[in-house]
Amino acid sequence: MFEIRWHSRAGQGAVTGAKGLAEVVSTTGKFVQAFAFYGSAKRGAAMTAYNRVSDKRIINHEKFMSPEYVLIIDPALIHTADFTANAKENTKYIITSHLNKEDLVKSQPKLEGKEVYVVDCMSIAMDTIGRAIPNTPMLGALMKISGMYEIDFFKESMLNVLRKFPQKIIDANMAAIQRAYDEVN
Amino acid sequence: MAENRGWDEFDAGAILFTFNEKVDNIATTLAEDRPYSSSSSFTASVGDWRIEKPIFNKDYCIDCQFCWIYCPDVSIIARDKKMIGIDFDHCKGCGICVEVCPTNPKSLLMFGEHLDDDECLASWPEKDEKEV
Amino acid sequence: MAEKIDLLETEVWDGNMAASQAMRQAQIDVVAAYPITPSTPVVENYGNFLANGYIDGEFVMVESEHAAMSGCIGASAAGGRVATATSSQGFALMVETLYQASGMRLPIVLNVVNRALAAPLNVNGDHSDMYLGRDSGWIQLNAYNAQDAYDLNLIAFKVAENHKVRLPVMIHQDGFMTSHTAEGVKTLQDEEAYAFVGDFKPMNAMLDFEKPATYGVQTEEDWHFEHKARQHNDLMTKVYPVMEEVFAEFEKKTGRKFDLVTNHRLDDAEVAIVAMGTTVDTAMMVADQLREKGIKAGVMGMRVIRPFPFAKIAEVLSNVKAVCCMDRSSPGGAPGMLYNEISGALYNSAKRPVVTGYVYGLGGRDMTVEYLKGIFADGLENAKAGKPTTPLQQFIGVRGPKLNFL
Repeated sequence: MFEIRWHSRAGQGAVTGAKGLAEVVSTTGKFVQAFAFYGSAKRGAAMTAYNRVSDKRIINHEKFMSPEYVLIIDPALIHTADFTANAKENTKYIITSHLNKEDLVKSQPKLEGKEVYVVDCMSIAMDTIGRAIPNTPMLGALMKISGMYEIDFFKESMLNVLRKFPQKIIDANMAAIQRAYDEVN
Repeated sequence: MAENRGWDEFDAGAILFTFNEKVDNIATTLAEDRPYSSSSSFTASVGDWRIEKPIFNKDYCIDCQFCWIYCPDVSIIARDKKMIGIDFDHCKGCGICVEVCPTNPKSLLMFGEHLDDDECLASWPEKDEKEV
Repeated sequence: MAEKIDLLETEVWDGNMAASQAMRQAQIDVVAAYPITPSTPVVENYGNFLANGYIDGEFVMVESEHAAMSGCIGASAAGGRVATATSSQGFALMVETLYQASGMRLPIVLNVVNRALAAPLNVNGDHSDMYLGRDSGWIQLNAYNAQDAYDLNLIAFKVAENHKVRLPVMIHQDGFMTSHTAEGVKTLQDEEAYAFVGDFKPMNAMLDFEKPATYGVQTEEDWHFEHKARQHNDLMTKVYPVMEEVFAEFEKKTGRKFDLVTNHRLDDAEVAIVAMGTTVDTAMMVADQLREKGIKAGVMGMRVIRPFPFAKIAEVLSNVKAVCCMDRSSPGGAPGMLYNEISGALYNSAKRPVVTGYVYGLGGRDMTVEYLKGIFADGLENAKAGKPTTPLQQFIGVRGPKLNFL
């Protein structure tokens, strides 16, 4: 079992990202959950989404989670969100930022001594998809850091997840996933 | 209606059926020829509710059908759009048919339930000249 | 003719989508609905299927939940397969018509995505609305996860529409915790699912032109009691045999087994948690963890809330020493419903376990693994002492000074 917590703003696609990941994981015979904390939050409000992945059927429905991965897809949230909440000693942080790792840790001392990876999902999303939806690039970065799946297999699986979209959008997402995979460090 | 049945003796859901048997072409079957069940109000007589009864005088009727439309108990009997009489099993004597009758004198008037129909007709009023 | 959808063997669906897909597969004649959080996607997905040609039936947008159930009642009485969905305040507005539906013995299927009742306003999951409906004469089935929500929808039509039953069925799932949590759901293909549910067989249809029926009659003192007695009798005696038959048929088709009550390791358990919704699943996981440490823990899940499986509960809990009943609804000045009803079922049993109650999770407050471990620990103490070692009603997970009663 491993667990992922997404920090995002409502409208940036964290729930869609978490569900997309769940669909891919499910096709490989593993068990998965994707959920989020909802309120009457509006677009732009900070929110969290979650994944659980396991080789066994998941019957744990508690919302509490001590995640292996924390994915932050909005660059400002490292300054406002409680992104280290309930973290483990070895929790890995993949953070969207235009800063390099050194400057990022300097800007947020809570990251000191943590396993931090940086990728500029926002710029990648703007360059490829043309909208500030940094969810699919974050999945590309997660594949690199976690080694969950080979990137080619993952992209192929995402094709199926995205099948209802026009080809142009699918192509843009594929490019975004690959770029984030290549650029995260 | 069979009274005092126990809880296990009816259709679930307090459902009542209008007819005893399957019906066909009900719209073209006259009411008296329909197989109404005991739970249909057609098989229940309310004639004894009346204090007064409507008497129909066909000499003045213009077959406008107002009484047929307005009767709340479907008690005006009409055939081929001609008024032919009153269903006294279901008429409660409310007098609405008399109210809506447009002729002068009226073709329907209320009389005491105990009065003889022929005597009622014989006492029918003349045309009211003031109303013209 | 509606188009089919090719489903994967395992789809990643949340509880709402699971319900919508099962509704689509059942080929419903009429859905009248007024969407409300968190059940909105049930209706939204269904409307989407309709707009894209996957549904032949009618979809009626109405102006309130009262109208939604009224529309369902009319359509069901007319003689069609009918379903809808609601939550919380919408459910509360529907309550008057719920009694109409069950009293007229109309086999309507209602997905209730459970949510708290205001005030204060809250869109998250607890069981307040479910409790509000428990005397309404409906059958109430309880899903613990999205898979259950899918399976129980297919089962619900088959039970409700059986001519021996002819009662409406609610399927309860936890708002957000089930309704908005995507997980793997094993599917049936459209033909298989429909073959299981079967064609709708009308009974006493209002719009049967050869034998029209009157619905909604008035019965005063001289008739009313008999009709209510008949309805209660049928709930108590006709539902279980049909339900167990349908469960068996479903298991044969899918391998997924349902029972009137979920018995998780109760046979040799010393301590048991009784719960509903997602808490059943989580408690089963915790019981398994405790078993690894040699603690004889078990869980009883309330698969069927109404008709209340009184005898079955007494049977599966007969050897347990301590039972912890978990109510996810503010009891409003009383012990919790589960505490009361489980106690009632056990009072005359030979070994009469110690029964205690817990109120938890209101307005979506998380029921964590740690809390569940604490409740099992309480129960274990009660089992050892042979009497309650805690107050009979404890509030779990609420901030402020510890809150206990009774």
